Amino acid sequence: MPDTLLTIRDLHVAYGPKPILRGAGFDVRRGECLTLLGANGSGKSTSMNAICGFVRPSAGSVSLEGTELAGRPAHAIFAQGVAQVSQARDLFPDLTVEDNLRLGAMRRGGRESGETLAHVYARFPRLAERRAQAARTLSGGEQQMVAIGRAMMSRPRLLLLDEPSGGLSPQFCEEIARIIDQLKADGVTLLMVEQNLNLAFRAADRFIVLRDGRVVDGGDVAAMAGDHDAIVRNIYL
Amino acid sequence: MLMQLTLSGASQGAIYALVALSLTVVYRSTTVVNFGHGDLVMSGAFVAYVLVVGLGLAFLPAAVIAVVAMFGLGVCFSRGLIRPIRGGPHIGFALMSIALGYTLRGIARTVWGREVLPMPRVFDIEPIFLGDVVLTGDALFTIATVAVLLGLFFAMLTFTDIGKMVQAVYQSERGARLVGINVSRFHDLSWGTGAALGAVGGILIAPVSFLHPDLGASFLIKGFAAMTLGGFGSLGGAVLGGVVLGLAEQYAGAYIDTALIDITAYLLIILVLLVRPRGLFGRKAVVKV
Repeated sequence: MPDTLLTIRDLHVAYGPKPILRGAGFDVRRGECLTLLGANGSGKSTSMNAICGFVRPSAGSVSLEGTELAGRPAHAIFAQGVAQVSQARDLFPDLTVEDNLRLGAMRRGGRESGETLAHVYARFPRLAERRAQAARTLSGGEQQMVAIGRAMMSRPRLLLLDEPSGGLSPQFCEEIARIIDQLKADGVTLLMVEQNLNLAFRAADRFIVLRDGRVVDGGDVAAMAGDHDAIVRNIYL
Repeated sequence: MLMQLTLSGASQGAIYALVALSLTVVYRSTTVVNFGHGDLVMSGAFVAYVLVVGLGLAFLPAAVIAVVAMFGLGVCFSRGLIRPIRGGPHIGFALMSIALGYTLRGIARTVWGREVLPMPRVFDIEPIFLGDVVLTGDALFTIATVAVLLGLFFAMLTFTDIGKMVQAVYQSERGARLVGINVSRFHDLSWGTGAALGAVGGILIAPVSFLHPDLGASFLIKGFAAMTLGGFGSLGGAVLGGVVLGLAEQYAGAYIDTALIDITAYLLIILVLLVRPRGLFGRKAVVKV
């Protein structure tokens, strides 16, 4: 039986009277990259925000190796080792690259933060070159590197990537795929939302499809090789 | 005469700077304009007064206790009255802060009526004469205390991990949550820090002025004027705005008309909003459509 890191069961989330997640449930296995697919409004980003504590589920369970996370505040969930790279990146624009990265380790991963910072710079040499620059002066791709690096600084058990290719050039999408490969090689478990299906299928081990807040399909990406059209039909039709 | 006016203006402006900075600390972290802040300044002064005059404590320990008490009051206000209404309309915060201010003022009026109370002088030393300029112990104490406090505050903000976390919350609250900062607790501490810094302003003004329950109202408008001049949300701007306001009051009063002292703050607000709405250091608001 695969080693499960995160278990989500019967998750319900609503924004006011409007339900977004209606009983979604899935597992994330240790060391894998699972991608959430679905049309706009299907509940992908809401799932991420519910896991991180940015929205409060009205019912259901989010369990990280037996520790219940649902309903806990974001900082408490972060302390359990769940980090997110958000769609908007949410960097600290006037702080330097290095300050942005170091902030990722201030509440978790403190003692080894020097070592982790060296590791992040080794992964992203461009950030090492720009360590003293304010984050707002970086290109979109570089800012995405800072966002991923900042999340890595907390040495997360589970890393959530919300649209990592959003607004980036096709060349950088390939770089994102390489970064995800490297993170997996480092043993990081990843849960990703990605509209760019080429990147999603290139980087993920498994996928699930959300529709109207429920899981309607899923499986191994490798097993579906050559039949991505079927998945696309399932997402949009 | 110019030097004397500058010294007096700097002493007064130092207190305005502290009040404006304390308003800005709350505004930057919570986006709430604390309309009850003047009454926190007044309360800090009255707590120190009770400790010095009522209980016979020396000024310094009384001041420290008053500042700590006001910090506690600020935290309790945030925890007990602001957190429960978070998520509601923004004007609710402003109304809650007004309610706090008038409640504190009402308590002070109930206890002391509308009489003015003299606080014993702290540095009742002989003035120092430097040519035509007279340096009083109170002015020196005020300027030195505020300078040290501001130095410590900005050094903490710039060079320490706590300061980086504070800047992080100021720049992106969601980003701060993403790196595990407890933003709700940060807001509580910001209210506490704002109340404590405001209380320092009240405690510094107490020995050189008379205390009365309506003392805070004028400080609130001076604080707003300094914030407006410095740029809303700019910590350094608030400090500079406070000093400039203190100087402007003295110069306008001496060279034009003494009546101008009382309305300089209002004139400054009108002028800045018309000519340079973002103040000296505020950022230009860019609205994407």
